[in-house]
Amino acid sequence: MIRYSRLLLYFTIVVLLLWILPWMYNFLTARANKTPFTLYSSVIDDYAVLQPSDKGVVRKDLGGNVYSESEFDSILPMFYYRQLIADGRLPERMKGVELNPKVIQTENFIFRHSPDESNRPVIGLYPLLESSSGRVDLVMPEDVFHIDNDCIEFIDIKSNCVDEKKSQLFTKALQKKGFIFPARIIAGNPTTRKDYDEGYLLTDKENNLFHMKQVVGRSFVRKIDIPEGIVINHIFLTEFKNRKILAFLTDKQNRLYVLLTKSYRLISLPVTQFDPTRQSISVIGNLFDWTINISDDNGDEYYAIDARDYGLLKRMERPNNTVSLSEKIGGYIFPVRLTFTSLKDKWVKARFASGGFN
Amino acid sequence: MLKPILYKEWIKTRWYFLLAILVSIGFTGYSLLRVNRVIGLKGMEHLWQVMLERDVIFIDLQMYIPLIIGILLAIVQFVPEIQQSRLKLTLHLPYPHYRIIAVMLLYGILVLLVCFVFNFIFMSVYFIGILAGELVKHILMTALTWYIAGFTGYLLTAWICLEPTWKRRILNIVIAVCVLRVFFLSAVPEAYNSFLPVLIGYTSLTVLLSMLSVYRFKTGQQD
Amino acid sequence: MYMESVIECKNLTHYYGKRLIYENLSFSVPQGRILGLLGKNGTGKTTTINILSGYLRPRSGECLVFGENVQTMNPARRRDIGLLIEGHVQYTFMNISQIEKFYSQFYPKWNKDAYYELMEKLKVAPGQRISRMSCGQRSQVALGLILAQNPELLVLDDFSLGLDPGYRRLFIEYLHEYAKAENKTVFLTSHIIQDMERLIDDCIILDYGKILIQQPVSTLLDNLRRFTFTVPEGYSWQIADDKFYHPSLIRNHIETYAFLKQEDVEQELREMQVPYTELKCENVNLEDAFIGLTGKY
Repeated sequence: MIRYSRLLLYFTIVVLLLWILPWMYNFLTARANKTPFTLYSSVIDDYAVLQPSDKGVVRKDLGGNVYSESEFDSILPMFYYRQLIADGRLPERMKGVELNPKVIQTENFIFRHSPDESNRPVIGLYPLLESSSGRVDLVMPEDVFHIDNDCIEFIDIKSNCVDEKKSQLFTKALQKKGFIFPARIIAGNPTTRKDYDEGYLLTDKENNLFHMKQVVGRSFVRKIDIPEGIVINHIFLTEFKNRKILAFLTDKQNRLYVLLTKSYRLISLPVTQFDPTRQSISVIGNLFDWTINISDDNGDEYYAIDARDYGLLKRMERPNNTVSLSEKIGGYIFPVRLTFTSLKDKWVKARFASGGFN
Repeated sequence: MLKPILYKEWIKTRWYFLLAILVSIGFTGYSLLRVNRVIGLKGMEHLWQVMLERDVIFIDLQMYIPLIIGILLAIVQFVPEIQQSRLKLTLHLPYPHYRIIAVMLLYGILVLLVCFVFNFIFMSVYFIGILAGELVKHILMTALTWYIAGFTGYLLTAWICLEPTWKRRILNIVIAVCVLRVFFLSAVPEAYNSFLPVLIGYTSLTVLLSMLSVYRFKTGQQD
Repeated sequence: MYMESVIECKNLTHYYGKRLIYENLSFSVPQGRILGLLGKNGTGKTTTINILSGYLRPRSGECLVFGENVQTMNPARRRDIGLLIEGHVQYTFMNISQIEKFYSQFYPKWNKDAYYELMEKLKVAPGQRISRMSCGQRSQVALGLILAQNPELLVLDDFSLGLDPGYRRLFIEYLHEYAKAENKTVFLTSHIIQDMERLIDDCIILDYGKILIQQPVSTLLDNLRRFTFTVPEGYSWQIADDKFYHPSLIRNHIETYAFLKQEDVEQELREMQVPYTELKCENVNLEDAFIGLTGKY
């Protein structure tokens, strides 16, 4: 027995050293590694880059042209429109479109998602807001729903009891549209801090896509036809101001799609791939174009997309080749490392890594 | 020979046991009171909403309580054994050495179990009345990590207390602190779900470490 | 039953780190004898007791009790060994009835009356915790528990520590009467040697690294004598004879110890051509004998 006790002690020490020593090394040597702010400009048809350097911020494009601060504002008029308005420099028209603050504001959006938002504990209870209450402000409902193996159930918060009537109503509505329980994905933004509510997008047992919301106390369910062979894997309901798109989606092959609001058309975006469980995404959109940035350990990929037809305008890559000497050395000193947490998820578990630091 | 050993442990720790129950119930009661106040001031909807939207579980106050209870139990139980080498008396009993220690540790684990289960039931009963099953599970699974840390803290502290030399004892303390740190790496509720079996398994194994300390005592390791 | 010797230690060698405590130490304790282990601080008394009670594994050699190696002894065999640890340490968080109830369940031969007989003399309330008792009272509790356990062998580590003379005397008298009446074997140490004289049959005197003598106390006291004599002023006497233990010269008086009769000493001194006068020969007590044999330093 004492042999096993000793073994356990040695095992414990080794595990702790594999964890703590690389951590300390990293803590002492790591330096912040910031990617420069990059945005596509429909004015110059190129990417505009804000690069921090020793002499302050350098503003340039991929062609090597350097811009002053106010020049930079004007090549990104949709992004810096408030500055341009303040300077009285906002053009009246651009690409044939009449510009005014309201239009710009409505069409601008920013969407971000990082892996740790997908990889985290899920409670499995969802508030379904009233989408057209007739009031301007959204309010949180007095119930929440969960989807079981054979029905959707609404639980009244005050009484902590199932609202049988409402549950049946929605269960029947879903079944009528061909929903096969249980749900695989339940995606929505259950918050009142948005302009309007689109309820939830769901996929069922057979990976069919559905849109469900509550309209004037009644159920609204719609089955969304998606091309054969596409298996939806992640859904991000957008609820942007302009109401043009309903959601971003990815499929099992990590292809990125956009789902349009009115037509429920699923459009494949010209993005090589996006895996929400290990890559971060940001989409900065405006009247004319979207800049999609997909980043992971290997670097950043940028896709400029035409906001009208979702075609690719320009693509660029910024590989992460800035592995520092200390990171390389660290990889040799600590060929095997242990961590319990990760920036890519919210779980605590043992993860062993080998090779260079990143 | 189980009975007299348990009897001795009981006499040593009964007041502490009572105190541990009272204090832990006090903290649990206070957390539940805070929940009650949120309900009273802002309504049940607000409570659920905050839990769902902001991932608040309202019992964070209890995070370190099981750990502290576990560590103190080991101190109350094992420090009198090592003071003045009193362990010699215990190991002189006509009963196998490691089995004596195992029974003592078993007693401690039972005491903690009673104390923790009491709290768990208290919380469950309260929360089941006002929250959906998912939220109750969310709270209890989060708390479970802290309660397991209580057992680990107990067993590691027993190991530290029984160790006969100070040099080694300090090393043990450093190791124990690092091991216990693992239980508190994330404030995200339910972050440990998939890791809990590993933590429970490791915690059960740490019973072995106390045996190593006793072995070192028996072979006469000293400062 | 078992071998004649209740305790048999063979070739014990022990170091603390690199410091040698003793090498190849061997001794045995026959059944029914009370043996005292005497030695100055640092000669390994506690080491020996620890090895003997199984709380120290010697670097080499082995210690048998009832013919079994103490390190691997069958746990049930410990019923026959009563252990008093230094300072009469007991479970001080118990009171006298709790501790009796606790121990009684381990020992089939438990003699409850022997314990309570002693406790009655203490005038303590049954509910009083041992931690609240005086050192003397605690020693009686520890003794009472050993007597109730009724073991064949008693191992007592420094039983006189912290006791005032009355309790020391009480302890000794009880122990002696008990051991003799029940034919028990006792192995003990004490730093107060006067106490031992009333109690022990045999003694082992430890010097640094070895056993100086092991013999019955009566034999020791019969044969060891103190000799004092006067030498001329300025005379320096080099010890050239191992028959004389620790001769010391203060002014012109020499004091030494030897296992010799007066006439033999005179003969030796004459042979060594020592100009002695006023030779005195005295019988000694155990403390004198101990100091004589181990020296004052």
